[in-house]
Amino acid sequence: MATLNEKKTCSERMENFRRFVWNPETKLFMGRTLINWVWISLYYLAFYVVMSGLFALSIYSLMRTVNPYEPDYQDQLKSPGVTLRPDVYGDRGLQIYYNVSDNKTWEGLVTTLRAFLTAYTPAAQHLNINCTSDTYFIQDTFDGPNKTKLSCKFTSDMLQNCSGITDPTFGFPEGQPCFIIKMNRIIKFFPGNGTAPRVDCTYVGAESRPLEVDYYPVNGTFNLHYFPYYGKKAQPSYSNPLVAVKFLNITRNVELKIVCKIIGAGITFDNVHDPYEGKTLPKYTHEE
Amino acid sequence: MVKKSDVYSVELHGTKDIEKTEIEDEEKYKDLKGNKKKKKTEDLKKELELDDHKLSTSELEEKYSTSITNGLFSARAAEILARDGPNSLTPPKATSEIVKFLKQLVGGFSILLWIGATFSWISFGIQLAQGTESAFDNLYLGIVLALVVILTGIFAYYQEAKSTNIMASFSKMIPQQALVIRDAQKKELPAEQLVVGDIVEIKGGDRIPADIRLISAQGCKVDNSSLTGESEPQARSCDFTHDNPLETKNIAFYSTTCVEGTATGIVINTGDRTIIGRIASLALGVGNEKTPIAIEIEHFVYLVAGVAISVGVLFFIISISLRYKILDSIIFLIGIIVANVPEGLLATVTVSLSLTAKRMAKKNCLVKNLEAVETLGSTSIICSDKTGTLTQNRMTVAHLWFDNQIYSADTSEDQTTQPFDQSSPSWTALSKIVTLCNRAEFRPGQENVPIMKRVVVGDASETALLKFAEVILGDVMNIRAQNKKVAEIPFNSTNKFQLSIHETDDPNDKRFLLVMKGAPERILERCSTIMINGKEEPLDSEKAEAFQTAYMELGGMGERVLGFCHLYLPENEFPDTYTFDTDSMNFPTSNLCFVGLLSMIDPPRSTVPDAVSKCRSAGIKVIMVTGDHPITAKAIAKSVGIISATSETVEDIAKRLNIPVEQVNRREATAAVVNGMELKDMSLQQLDEILCNHSEIVFARTSPQQKLIIVEGCQRQGAVVAVTGDGVNDSPALKKADIGIAMGIAGSDAAKNAADMVLLDDNFASIVTGVEEGRLIFDNLKKTIAYTLTKNIAELCPFLIYIIASIPMPIGTITILFIDLGTDIIPSVALAYEKAESDIMNRRPRNKRRDRLVNQQLAVYSYLQIGVMQAVGAFVTYFTVYAEQGFFPSTLLGVRVKWENSNINDFEDSYGQQWTKYQRTFLQWNGYTAFFVSITIQQVADLIIRKTRRNSIFQQGLFRNKVIWVGIFSQIGIALVLTYGLGYVTALNFTPLRFQYWFVAVPFAILIWVYDEVRKLLIRRYPGSWWDKNMYY
Repeated sequence: MATLNEKKTCSERMENFRRFVWNPETKLFMGRTLINWVWISLYYLAFYVVMSGLFALSIYSLMRTVNPYEPDYQDQLKSPGVTLRPDVYGDRGLQIYYNVSDNKTWEGLVTTLRAFLTAYTPAAQHLNINCTSDTYFIQDTFDGPNKTKLSCKFTSDMLQNCSGITDPTFGFPEGQPCFIIKMNRIIKFFPGNGTAPRVDCTYVGAESRPLEVDYYPVNGTFNLHYFPYYGKKAQPSYSNPLVAVKFLNITRNVELKIVCKIIGAGITFDNVHDPYEGKTLPKYTHEE
Repeated sequence: MVKKSDVYSVELHGTKDIEKTEIEDEEKYKDLKGNKKKKKTEDLKKELELDDHKLSTSELEEKYSTSITNGLFSARAAEILARDGPNSLTPPKATSEIVKFLKQLVGGFSILLWIGATFSWISFGIQLAQGTESAFDNLYLGIVLALVVILTGIFAYYQEAKSTNIMASFSKMIPQQALVIRDAQKKELPAEQLVVGDIVEIKGGDRIPADIRLISAQGCKVDNSSLTGESEPQARSCDFTHDNPLETKNIAFYSTTCVEGTATGIVINTGDRTIIGRIASLALGVGNEKTPIAIEIEHFVYLVAGVAISVGVLFFIISISLRYKILDSIIFLIGIIVANVPEGLLATVTVSLSLTAKRMAKKNCLVKNLEAVETLGSTSIICSDKTGTLTQNRMTVAHLWFDNQIYSADTSEDQTTQPFDQSSPSWTALSKIVTLCNRAEFRPGQENVPIMKRVVVGDASETALLKFAEVILGDVMNIRAQNKKVAEIPFNSTNKFQLSIHETDDPNDKRFLLVMKGAPERILERCSTIMINGKEEPLDSEKAEAFQTAYMELGGMGERVLGFCHLYLPENEFPDTYTFDTDSMNFPTSNLCFVGLLSMIDPPRSTVPDAVSKCRSAGIKVIMVTGDHPITAKAIAKSVGIISATSETVEDIAKRLNIPVEQVNRREATAAVVNGMELKDMSLQQLDEILCNHSEIVFARTSPQQKLIIVEGCQRQGAVVAVTGDGVNDSPALKKADIGIAMGIAGSDAAKNAADMVLLDDNFASIVTGVEEGRLIFDNLKKTIAYTLTKNIAELCPFLIYIIASIPMPIGTITILFIDLGTDIIPSVALAYEKAESDIMNRRPRNKRRDRLVNQQLAVYSYLQIGVMQAVGAFVTYFTVYAEQGFFPSTLLGVRVKWENSNINDFEDSYGQQWTKYQRTFLQWNGYTAFFVSITIQQVADLIIRKTRRNSIFQQGLFRNKVIWVGIFSQIGIALVLTYGLGYVTALNFTPLRFQYWFVAVPFAILIWVYDEVRKLLIRRYPGSWWDKNMYY
């Protein structure tokens, strides 16, 4: 449309620009008198103060309307995500690789697990109560101190062989490593519809040999008394229940694709877009 | 030109002094013409050396090795054709289509978008090499950007091609045939195959197929208007009458038309070597000025591109110094560019212009070049032709004088009656002479055609008289049949009268009636009596004096005056068996009875005076440039208001004060009539002085070449000049003008080619409606641009806040494209339909230098006020969506790196819930959608406030422009479809949005409306105040 071919010499342009910045004849600085600049700046200052005020007011009233205990909507949180520890990510997601004989390659993994489990020591869990019932722990009232709700205790010893207590190396040197599986918290989410959801790990694809796995706690279930979650404000000391898996007969020197799903009503693992919803997909290799 | 002056000397011989100046004019004028030609072009000078008109027939035969009787041999003709090429004008070199298209691809914002696309691909390449999952997003973005450029390019190209095609079809002509003698046979050949030396025959109605030296002619007249601009037919014969080939009678020029008679001639020049060809090529040499709107759009592109680049670079530096990766910074840069560039705007402007062009075409202004639409609106001087544009291009009886009294006749286009007093017996006598002493006839078969529109065979004056008589008396042909003509002497330039003798229609009256008309002074010489109230009275000196006064008065009005007299031949001397012999004139031609005078003029079109006064109130200076005589020119100028009733020329003042012209203070005279002869002697400074000091100017007796000088003079004053023209040698002036306006009916093809606009009805008033449309579109484009620019800030802020505050991305680049090229397009076009806020014809034309399309106020108000409000509104929606899904604003600040880390799949929100990467991304898209919807909702308010710049919306009417509502509904409709219809197509990054989020920004939309109403109120209340200066765009 507009063809650009109006030509001015560079010096002309510079001269024009200098005139624009300060024109000594009309005493205009950038096209305005100084007093005009003051006025316009004051106007804009006032304008932006008012706009900031309006913005602040909007945000303030927004914060007054939202419920501090639970979000108004959980549109994206229909089904919980699942994560794995140790979490080592490569280019293609979770990739766990180590050499049995070289302890430097797995020490980092062990440290990660140990650090992760520090939140589950009896000391860290001392605020939580022991729960024994195998049903949902529904609390309609604030029974805890300071208007909070109670949370059930989950300690690392419940993970038995994978607790790091009996085997501080979590089975890595033996080639039978432990992994810890955690389900994401979602407020007022009731997984399993009365049946405790459990972890199930298999090979991905047509693997002839079934994957032999030990699950801790037994059956790899998340006990129902850890649910529902009532939110950070109501349950400040809540910790996610965990399931540890110990792979027993893993083929060596081959990269294996494993999927650990959480099986239970209300938990979906077939979302094509989200690889971490209801399942976790580690790629595992160990060498000797 | 020669013929023209003949006409005047015929009619005005009564006033000797006028005749004298006439001759002087003529002499000097010729000099001038020669001079200018020498100055203007070497080519034309060469043309003057043409000597074929001086050669005898046999010399010509020898020169062109042809034979007058047998013509050329076909073989020889083919040889010459091969040597000289076809006999047609080389069309102006057209830019090749592919170049035109490529130009669209790199013009305007395209470069910026190409840069964006290239960066996208580069970062895609890098990310792909690094194995990042989201790499393909950038590939798609690059492709989308490239597509945007290509599609808008195709669109703009298509629009341009469409408007060019209108013209192409317009100028396409039926292939012309010529009657040629070759191989001793008459043949019909396409005119293109004519060669030098061909013998061609032409007859009335033909277009002259090449430059021709006539070797025989019978009553041949040609219309040289396409060459000289004057439509008076000129006689052609085979006599060498003038040294100057342009003036001599034995040459007929290519592309002129033969009006009547027949002629045979030798082709002496073909194709581009003809006079017309040379002038046409001269027009090519005159540079085409860049249109004002092109300059404005360029200015605007610079401005927006400047903002885009400086903000982009600034934030590139900021993001680098905030330790962002270079790659990320580049991606931010792309986002900023895309947010800043109004991708759809140039297409919108094109559409708006073509809508206006369409509207103008309906009002008989056919616009060739879309940008010319606006040029017309910024026009400050119109240099108009007289004949045909200001006038009806038709001689019409304007005044009558009988019974010692001047009567005015109706000169409007569609006269059906004549209101003057027709009861006097003198009128009966006069009407009889007018009816009978007239050779003009209606072509048969036109009974149902209005009298004024009927085709007449005959010259202009006789046609005028015939139609005049037909209107008043009814069936003229029948009256003539009843008064059988027995003898006739046609008009010739020696006698300067026309005479016929008739039987009367009264069966009891056996006398013959002799009727005569002609140059008034000649007629008077032959009269001894004069008819007053039907009685013959002796013509004494007192009555002759009255005649002189009337004659002078009518002549002074620039009218062509004819005298009429009659005589009833005594029955005893001339019995009904008497044989009249026109050669020996065996009947009296003196001592006749003078009956009256009729004066004729080519009257102004009835719509013109109104149009001129509209121009005047619109601050547009109308300058008449005509080849006509100064007296006629001035009379017409006065009658249409180009020279207003109260203003005087220097000559008028001199006459009033009775002092010599030299003593008059030139500054007192507001009007000026400048003769072409004076113009020739003027220096450029003097011309500038005239153009500056006089508000009402008429240039008379100018050659079309001088038109160019006048146009250049006007342009030196900084004016935007519109020029009308029809002749071929108007084309340089048409090209030179900011907007050249060619006449659709009378205009030659060369003029149409050179012009930017074609006036389909040749009517000056149409130009004025065009001006109105042009001004309106300028205002409306301002609104469109203001509307479009506003949301740029709302699109840009997300990137800036994202970089600085590290919040999750509020809006995606693709989403921005959906606003710019989706929801916003129809509303911005809709603003082109907005009615004017006030009478736009009551203000001065815009000053090219000061009144910019996009001025500082517009940019600042859109960007820094309304745009910021929109951004705030959109951000409130964004924070609302995130807060209600679990992320409070405080949580969001600084969260970017973790948020975007795809390895964190248990990201904790404000409530302690944990989110996978995909869940977060989906929420982010939900945020995009919310942001998008908020901008759309606020753009509705923006659209409404942009309807006016000064008036309240309620003054303008919320519902008067229905298209605006189409725009609003389309906007919301597209947003609904994108959100709910395409919400599941992940590549588009839209998600279904909870219904209530559509309303979060509504208070801000209302705020925008209220704020703008207050702004307009203060502007109206305090004109000229600080507020007005800073807030009115």
